[in-house]
Amino acid sequence: MLLALLAGLDLTMSFITLFVPLQLIVSSFVGYRAFGRRGIGDAILVVLTIFFSTFVLILLLSVLYSVITEGAKAISFQFIGQNNVYVSPTTSLDYGGVGHAILGTLIVVLLTTLAAVPLGVAMAIYLTQSQSKTRNLVRTFTQALSGLPSVVSGLFILSIIEATQMGRSGITGSLALFPLMLPTVARVAEEALRLVPVDLRYAALALGAPNYRAFFQVILPAAKSGLLTALLLGLARVVGETAPLILTMNPSSGTNLNPFDGGMTTLPTYIYNYLASSYQTSQARAWGAALVLLMVVGILFALARILGKSKSKKSKATK
Amino acid sequence: MNLVKTTSTLSAENISVWFGERQVLENVNLVFPANKVTALIGPSGCGKSTFLRTLNRMHELIPGAGLAGSVYLNGEDIYADGMDAVSVRIKVGMVFQKPNPFPTMSIRDNILSGLKLSGRKIENAEELVETSLRRASIWNEVKDRLGDQAISLSGGQQQRLCIARSLAMNPEVLLMDEPCSALDPGSTRRIEETISELSETMAIVIVTHNMQQAQRVSDQTAFFLADENTPGGVVEFGSTEQIFNGPIDPRTNDYVNGHFG
Repeated sequence: MLLALLAGLDLTMSFITLFVPLQLIVSSFVGYRAFGRRGIGDAILVVLTIFFSTFVLILLLSVLYSVITEGAKAISFQFIGQNNVYVSPTTSLDYGGVGHAILGTLIVVLLTTLAAVPLGVAMAIYLTQSQSKTRNLVRTFTQALSGLPSVVSGLFILSIIEATQMGRSGITGSLALFPLMLPTVARVAEEALRLVPVDLRYAALALGAPNYRAFFQVILPAAKSGLLTALLLGLARVVGETAPLILTMNPSSGTNLNPFDGGMTTLPTYIYNYLASSYQTSQARAWGAALVLLMVVGILFALARILGKSKSKKSKATK
Repeated sequence: MNLVKTTSTLSAENISVWFGERQVLENVNLVFPANKVTALIGPSGCGKSTFLRTLNRMHELIPGAGLAGSVYLNGEDIYADGMDAVSVRIKVGMVFQKPNPFPTMSIRDNILSGLKLSGRKIENAEELVETSLRRASIWNEVKDRLGDQAISLSGGQQQRLCIARSLAMNPEVLLMDEPCSALDPGSTRRIEETISELSETMAIVIVTHNMQQAQRVSDQTAFFLADENTPGGVVEFGSTEQIFNGPIDPRTNDYVNGHFG
């Protein structure tokens, strides 16, 4: 270690170039002494596994750390509560906030969810329950769609906006997110429904259930936690999307609750607008918004989990 | 408990089954009188489970399945035009090889699920739950925990719960597809006792690979066999006593004495 420092390498580099290989050699030697030849492979695998998992963990934690430390400088009750009217790049952090962007995010994402989740689940039902020949075609399209770059989805809606002169608003932003959320929900929901044992369907049908009752009363409840995961992954897919929203929504610094008219800002577009600025306070606002976005996502996920749990408890408690 | 002795008879006439192009059963003729237990025996892949499923039209769930012949329940052809599979399955209950209680429902709701699923009104729910569980000899084990999840039960208890679930529909015939093959000897014995009690009120058809079980529980036995590349069929059908102690066909003799299969 000292040698590396003397050689002018910094600490991280010296860790990777010297410490890991040294550790590998030492552990394989120890492994060889203890278990013979097969001890070497074991020792190498253990060292590499620990190294790489620590590496990934540190990466994740450092992202979280920088968002929290940088964001904490800007965050306050007024930052969460107020909107951005009369705020210029140099305005002190005591004024203005992301309240309008939180509401904008919730509205845009909620609208997308309202359309994408029922449709995605319906697609999953079609893919798992029907015997139709076109299933494979639909599945292939869904998979292709899930690889769609988000900016392309934004461009697509933008071209529709230009062609129809419909004007940008919250709903056009939701429309641009819809093709991103739908395939995610459909694919995860399909997996969830596929995991329900076919035995259960047979049991229901053998009791004289028509197909639709067997589905709604037996298969759907059994797939509930998987469907919840579909919702969460769908949310995760769109809640941080920036590019399609920049293209399809006008930013707004005031609070706008009407998704059909006027500009609307979401947290990701707010971050995008402020991060490019060279002013200290603007950058602090962007970090603050990033932290708020993390918290919003956390709260949404927690809410979904609690909702899912409370329902299953209710069915348990029936006496 | 007021259980009327049913006199219903189930009979299968000239049943042949195809899966796509492949014929798996040919010309099966069997009669299942009320209050009798019929065992279907034979090596794996001889079509006995498929035949069992034709008796409540469950084979129709397999894509490409086709059928010729008739099945009469109390003189009525269950494959006649205007008969739908749902109404057949209400009268002909089924218990599967692997216990399959509904995991999202409590023990109590599992018993009532048949009525809910077939869209019928539930009267005297408590009484029905108790009667059904008693008939499947599981009442004493679960009476204090009817609200618990069904999957909290042991495998043997789950299977008896599934039997109780079928019984709640008050079926005229009960089909059982190797109901004990996933269970321990103790649970198997209890289910066999349940079968003999139930046979007083309904016709029971049971597929089993266990020769001792067939001898213990059944009144009559049908031996199925499929030669290579030919569809399966019944080789011999008669009283269990005769099939096991004095089979006419040498192949039956070989099978029940464990020489093949």
